[in-house]
Amino acid sequence: MSEFQYPIVKAFVSELQRIFRDPGVTVIFIVATLAYPLIYKAIYWNEQITNVPVAVVDLSDSPQSREFLHRWNAAPDIRLTHTCTSMAEAEQLLRDQKVHGIIYFPRDFARQLADPLGQAHISLYCDMSSFLYMKAIYLSCNQVMLESMRNIQIDRYEQMGVDKNFAWALVQDAPYTETALFTPTGGYGSFLIPAVLVLILHQTLFFGICMLGGTAREENEESYTFASLIGRAGACFTIYYALAAILLGFFPRLFNLPHIGSIGDVLLLIVPYILAIIFFSLCVSVFIRNRESGLVLLISSSLIFLFMAGISWPKEMIPDAWWYIACCIPYTHGAHAFIHINSMGASLAATATEYIALWILTGVYFVLACGLFYIRRKHLNTEN
Amino acid sequence: MKIIFLNIWRVLQRELHMMFARPLYIFASVGVMLLSTFFFLTLMKGGTAENMPVAVVDLDQTSISRRLIHEMQATPSVDIQLITNSYPEARLAMQQGKIYGIFVIPEGFYSDLVAFKRPQMDFYVTNAYTVGGNTAYKQMLTMVNLTSGAFQREVLRKKGLTDDIIMHRIQPLAIEGHMVANPWGNYSVYLVSTILPGILGLICLMLTIFAIGFELKMRTSHAWLRAAGGNYTVAMIGKLIPYTVMYLILGVGCHLIMYRFAGFPVYGSTARLMFGMMLFIFAMEALGITFIGLLPTLRDALSIGALYSMLGFSLSGFTYPQMAMLPPVKALSYMEPLRHYYLIYVNEALMGAPVENSIPYMLALTLFMVASLCVAPRLHRALVYWNYPLK
Repeated sequence: MSEFQYPIVKAFVSELQRIFRDPGVTVIFIVATLAYPLIYKAIYWNEQITNVPVAVVDLSDSPQSREFLHRWNAAPDIRLTHTCTSMAEAEQLLRDQKVHGIIYFPRDFARQLADPLGQAHISLYCDMSSFLYMKAIYLSCNQVMLESMRNIQIDRYEQMGVDKNFAWALVQDAPYTETALFTPTGGYGSFLIPAVLVLILHQTLFFGICMLGGTAREENEESYTFASLIGRAGACFTIYYALAAILLGFFPRLFNLPHIGSIGDVLLLIVPYILAIIFFSLCVSVFIRNRESGLVLLISSSLIFLFMAGISWPKEMIPDAWWYIACCIPYTHGAHAFIHINSMGASLAATATEYIALWILTGVYFVLACGLFYIRRKHLNTEN
Repeated sequence: MKIIFLNIWRVLQRELHMMFARPLYIFASVGVMLLSTFFFLTLMKGGTAENMPVAVVDLDQTSISRRLIHEMQATPSVDIQLITNSYPEARLAMQQGKIYGIFVIPEGFYSDLVAFKRPQMDFYVTNAYTVGGNTAYKQMLTMVNLTSGAFQREVLRKKGLTDDIIMHRIQPLAIEGHMVANPWGNYSVYLVSTILPGILGLICLMLTIFAIGFELKMRTSHAWLRAAGGNYTVAMIGKLIPYTVMYLILGVGCHLIMYRFAGFPVYGSTARLMFGMMLFIFAMEALGITFIGLLPTLRDALSIGALYSMLGFSLSGFTYPQMAMLPPVKALSYMEPLRHYYLIYVNEALMGAPVENSIPYMLALTLFMVASLCVAPRLHRALVYWNYPLK
């Protein structure tokens, strides 16, 4: 037994030494992993976008339109900053990015409202340079519109001689409440940062292992024995289990990001996630010739993995072919499982699909890594 | 003068030889760009999110609640994945990421409705997935308002009113939404327009650092300078020409694919947008020179360059607007060339703004080039004396 264990321990220790003696790897493994979450937290600190500037073009200049604007201006999302006399003037402001939206009341607005058979129109122009501008302007305006509309409807029914209670039942036979579940602030950071934390772990470990593999190859210190595979994986696992526990367990609690899940479940989830990344990266690292080429070649994979996982763009809207590829990347399952547990409070049992998928990937990439190591070892032997 | 051109030509030839001797250069530029373009243009089916799966919890279990569900199912762009009489079951499905919204029909819905007691419906959306949750929210809102409108229409018809009059009673006030320059609300157009140039910038930065740093690592920088007749400027120009030509071709290709082939809108000047892209490429190369000049060790400059330029995607403010960032972060965002390219893109492609609006950002991109000149003495010394760790 000791005969078998000894080379593994040796490989484990020498890998740890190589990691900590190599400032490049230490920067990627430790500094980037700990600094990036802080930077992202700082970027998305305010979570919500508020006071988006909007220009007003009110040709009707009526009490009704002013009432509407008054109510809309009370919404925290927007701020009516400019009053214009013509559309051209407002368009100029939009072009100069002084405002991100325009609201326009036509001349006949009040007359149409007063006419029991009329339909009044409001035009709303949204700057599409960021979808969050549109969301802020459009949703808040819609809210005010629905409210005002109901009041107008009630007035009109009353004019018709309909009883007020019945009018309300007509206008809104079944009112509704809307509740956003899980993250109370519903901010952009609360949504994005958990997914980014999982990605940071994935990419730093991926680049770090490729860098270590490339360095070993450059310096002719390659070793593709089974013991070296286990030893290297063990060294990375030891470091990354601690880092992942800090990032996924501690960080959301420290910085008031969503963290309604059980920390025990998160700690269990990390095990197959880190293992799957390690064996996935070891497979890729076999093909890396230089310490730097991995980073240069694979840097844009971060964006592709993020979008392919179906987090910011829903997975239901991703073509099957891309989705199948995404399912081969540990990040996809790790990110969904973490969001389910951490942000939506699911138990590990509830997110079993992703958890099992991570173990399957661990197994598949482990076998693949063994195979690739074997081929590479044979190749090296014949070379020598 | 003639000797300078001759030396540039010599360095350029040497560089072309190196470029084609290592597959990395072509893979990391042309290969990555082709893959990314293909990926981002095919990732988002149609570019607008619709048919997000939702659940209906029917606590009423009457003929009218079933009819309501039936009507909802008939509403286009609503995908009811789960109909259940247990809220916990629906909530679990949401926690498992199977659905993005839950619609609850309360107990006693039917009896309250016929008694005009206005039963209350509830709907829940997840905000752990932003786009999915928002889309589900909009769908359910439409669904409720449509069913509510249907009820009014029925009562008014019985009163003998015509459909035209009914329409104006049901909707006396309407908003006409205009999404400026992206009338379809296409997420793909919005995202890809900045992400693809961003990836190209990333490539420019990383490969510039690599091309210069590799000379240090391999101790070939003396041979490089010798080919340039010992002149740092000649050495730089000769080295960067082949890459710059390649990046410009990639940039033009990327523009052609987006604005010609994929039909993304340009309301302003294509030429100025292209000029902005060119300056952006130069700025990213200059940033690469600055990094390798400040940290004349290949691996350090690459690591820092990678960390810095990945932040550009967030700091450019195209997803999360800059106006919502904290003041120090706002200041930092101007240090990212992608921020300036994005603003030129907004002016030229979306707003059709006059040239004055883009000039400040074009000047800012030029400043990155000036900054790279400041590290020239330091980088020159490093190339000659190897006074930094080479590996």
